[in-house]
Amino acid sequence: MRRSGLRTRVVGGFAVSALLLSASMAFASYQATRRYLLEGRERASVRAVSFDARILREGVLTDQVDAADLLRSLDTGGNRRAMLYRDGGWFGRAADDGATEAVPMSLQRLVQQGQAGKQLVRVNGVPALVVGVPLTDTAALYEVDQFRELDQTLRTLSWVLTVVAALTAVAGAGLGWYAARYVARPLRQVAGAAQEIAAGDLSTRLDPAVEPDLAQLTTSFNDMVDRLAKRLEQDRRFAADVSHELRSPLQTLAASASVLARRREHLDQRSGLAVGLIVEEVDRFLALVDDLIELAKSDQPAHRAEVDVVAVARRACQARNLAPDLVKAVGDTPHVWLVDGRRIEQIIGNLLDNAARYGGGATAVRVGASDDRWFIEVDDEGPGVSPEDKTMIFDRFVRGRAAGARTDDDGAGLGLALVAQHAAAHGGQAVALDRPGGGARFRVELRKEPS
Amino acid sequence: MVTGVLVIEDDDRIRLSLALALEDEGYLVRTAASAEEGLEAQRAAPADTVLVDLMLPGMNGFDCVREMRRHDDVPIVVVSARDDTHDIVAALEAGADDYLVKPVAVKELSARLRALRRRGRAVSAAAPTLVFGDLEIRPEAGEVRVQGEPVSLTRTEFRLLCELAEHPGLVLSRQQLLQRVWEYEIGDERLVDVHVGRLRQKIERDTRTPQRLVTVRGMGYKLQR
Repeated sequence: MRRSGLRTRVVGGFAVSALLLSASMAFASYQATRRYLLEGRERASVRAVSFDARILREGVLTDQVDAADLLRSLDTGGNRRAMLYRDGGWFGRAADDGATEAVPMSLQRLVQQGQAGKQLVRVNGVPALVVGVPLTDTAALYEVDQFRELDQTLRTLSWVLTVVAALTAVAGAGLGWYAARYVARPLRQVAGAAQEIAAGDLSTRLDPAVEPDLAQLTTSFNDMVDRLAKRLEQDRRFAADVSHELRSPLQTLAASASVLARRREHLDQRSGLAVGLIVEEVDRFLALVDDLIELAKSDQPAHRAEVDVVAVARRACQARNLAPDLVKAVGDTPHVWLVDGRRIEQIIGNLLDNAARYGGGATAVRVGASDDRWFIEVDDEGPGVSPEDKTMIFDRFVRGRAAGARTDDDGAGLGLALVAQHAAAHGGQAVALDRPGGGARFRVELRKEPS
Repeated sequence: MVTGVLVIEDDDRIRLSLALALEDEGYLVRTAASAEEGLEAQRAAPADTVLVDLMLPGMNGFDCVREMRRHDDVPIVVVSARDDTHDIVAALEAGADDYLVKPVAVKELSARLRALRRRGRAVSAAAPTLVFGDLEIRPEAGEVRVQGEPVSLTRTEFRLLCELAEHPGLVLSRQQLLQRVWEYEIGDERLVDVHVGRLRQKIERDTRTPQRLVTVRGMGYKLQR
C-alpha cells in the first residue's frame, strides 16, 4: 500500500532527524562538560603536587632521610600516588607499588631537563593525571592522580545523554507518525469522497475551507466531479431526448398499424402478408424501445419500499396464463420485502418470459431468504443453459441458442440484461444454474439492506 | 351507445393516427391541436373521456388538466412521451385519472377508456347510504357529504372511495385497488397513492394525520369509521 509507505517514510525521517539532532547536542554538551570538569580537576591536582614538592624539596636538600619516609609524610588522600625519582632509581610507598609504569617516558625526559610537566593518561581504564616536578638536579617528584569520581560523573552523564538522545528519537518518530496522520487525513477524505462518487453519489464535494493548504487539490477534485456529473447528466438527457424522439413516431406507427391490421382481410394476399409483417415488427419495436429505455434508467439506485413479493410473483404468473400456485415461499420466508417493486415485477416477468421462450415454460417460482439476501428462483424443464452461455446470457442482445430460427414472440435479447441490472441495483446478482433433474434454473439474489 | 373521446395532441400525425385507430374501436373522436382549443371544444360539447398530451404549445398539458378539472369531472387520461416519476405524479395531482406512456398500443388504450367509462356507473344496484362518522356516501346517487355538505369528487375518486367504503375497516392493497378501480392486471401503484392523496384533501380535516382514510404500512389503505 502506497499510503502506509508514505507514512513509514515520514515516521522514519522524523526519527532519524531527531536522533541526529539530539545525539550531536548530547555529544557537544558532553565534551564541554568534560573539558570544564577536567580542567578544574587538573588545576587542583597541580596545586596539590606543587605543595607536596615544596615539602619534599626541603627534606631532600637538608637531610639524607629515607625517601619512603619522606613520601609517607605527604598527605595524598586516596587518589594520588607519589613517587620519588632520585639518582636513577624509584622510591615509593608500599601502597603505591607499580605506579611508576604510569609515568610516560616523554614526561620523564621533560622533568630531567629541569621543567615541571603534566600529562593525561589512563590507569586501569580510569583517567589519571601524571604530574612531574624536578626537586634537585637529580631528584624529581612524580604523582599519579586518578580521577575516579570525575570518571564516574562523566560515565553517568554520558549514559543520561544517551538515554535522552534515544528518547528524543522515539519522540521524533511519534511526532512523525502524528504529522503523517494529520497530513493524510485530508487525503483520506478525498479517498472517501472518491469512493462515494464511484458508488454513484455525484452530489459529493470536498469542502475547500477545511484545509487551505490542500485548496488546489480540493478545487481540482470538485471541478472534476462537476464535469463528471455534467457529462453524466448530458448522457442521461441525451438518452431521455432520444427515447422521447423515438416515442412520438412510434405512437403514430402503433396506431396506424392497428388501423391496417383491422383491414387485413380486405387486402389482397401480398398486401395482407406485408401488413402482418409490419404489425408484428411494430409490436417488437415497441417492446424493444420499452426495454432500452428501462435499461438506460436501470443504473439509478433502487427505490426500496415494502413489497409483497409473493403477490407480485402470483400476479405475474396470472398475467401470463400460468397457475399462481407455481409460486412458493421457501420455509417461513416473509412475503413482504424491502425492495423496488417495479424492478421486482420486471425481474419475475422477464424470467417467466425467458422460461416460456427457451425452456418450454416455467415449472416453479421460489422466493426465499439467506442471511443478508433475498432470492428469487425460476425453474424450467427445457434444454438448460450450456456452460459457456451461463455468463454471457446476461449480456445485452444475447438470445438463446434454441432461437436460431426466430419465432413470433422472440424477445429483443434485453430481458435477462435487465434482470441482471435490476439485481445489481439491489446490490445483488443474477446467475444461470442447472436445475437438478434437467432444465435451467435462474436465480436472482438481492441484498436485504441497501449497501 | 357511442362514446365521445376528445384527443388533445399537437403532433398532427399522432392526432390523426389515434383518431383513425380509436374510430376503428368504435369511439366518436374529436380532436384539438392545443390546450386552449381542447378546453373550448369540451365546453361547447362535452366528450365522455379526454386524452391529453403534456407537451403542448401555449398552455401545457398539466395546466390543461387543472383547468378542465375545475368544473368538469370527465375522466382524463394523460398520454405522454414523458416517463419521469415527477411528471407522472404532477399530472395525476393536477387531476388526471390515468397516465399512459407513449407509445401505447391501441388495444391497451381502448381497454383503459372502457374501464374509465364503466367507472361512471353505480357500484351496486341497491347500495344503501354508507356512513363513516360525519362522512356520508350514497353510491346510487353518486353523492358524498362531509358534515352534511356535499363534496365534489371525480368519478375515479368516487369509485375509489366506494371500493374502500364497501369494506369498512378492511385493508385493501394498492394492487387490489388498481384491479377494482382502474381494472389493471398489473399497474402503477403511484396511481393509487396520488388519488388517495387527492381524496384525503376532500374528506379529511387534516391531510397530514388522516383519521378516516388511513395508510397501513406495507399493506395498503383502509377506510375506518
